[in-house]
Amino acid sequence: MSFREKSAWISFVSILVVFGAYFWNANRILQGAVETHRGFVISVGLLAAFVLIEIVLHVTVAMQAPEEALAPKDEREQLIELKATRVAFQVLVVGALAGVAMMHITRSVWVMGQHVLLAIVFAELVKFGVQIRYFRGGV
Amino acid sequence: MGDCAIQNHIRRLRFDHGEMTQQALADEIGVTRQTVNAIELGKYSPSLEVAFRIAAVFGVPLDEVFRYGDRPIDSAGASWRRRTRRA
Repeated sequence: MSFREKSAWISFVSILVVFGAYFWNANRILQGAVETHRGFVISVGLLAAFVLIEIVLHVTVAMQAPEEALAPKDEREQLIELKATRVAFQVLVVGALAGVAMMHITRSVWVMGQHVLLAIVFAELVKFGVQIRYFRGGV
Repeated sequence: MGDCAIQNHIRRLRFDHGEMTQQALADEIGVTRQTVNAIELGKYSPSLEVAFRIAAVFGVPLDEVFRYGDRPIDSAGASWRRRTRRA
């Protein structure tokens, strides 16, 4: 498995796990199941954990194949990234439009903010998922 | 690229060149080993530039490395025109 594919897997799984927990926590705040300040601390902690997990895992993988990690992306890897970004952008647009529609459901800026974040996170998840699919199945 | 009609003889050419490894070929043409593997397996059609570089490494003309499958090019073109008309 190439460094880029490993990188896509790392990002896909870490986004899925950490932001899954993040939005579960956000929903608990919304439901009043957790005190707002404590919920905020958990959210910030999860975001910090996400950054840390990404850095540690990427450095670990890069140390196994330093030359590959430092090499610029070749044409196939660039094509995979472009195609995945195109799909993710369409997902992001749908998410953004849904965010606009949210204005008719809630006046809460916090909820709308979480919705926008969900759209961005979901688009990123799609991007890495599509990259993995192209890396494995061919482009 | 599931219906890719481009076939190649890179595996045989590597064998003929002293069992050249995919990594060695990749280093020569400036791509990753995984990309060479994807090209060999028909999972990726390289750019013209990379295709010419591969041919140059083996010292053969391009059409000794790549071949446009068994379908005549005209029928493939007709199939593409049908698809684009539908879209």
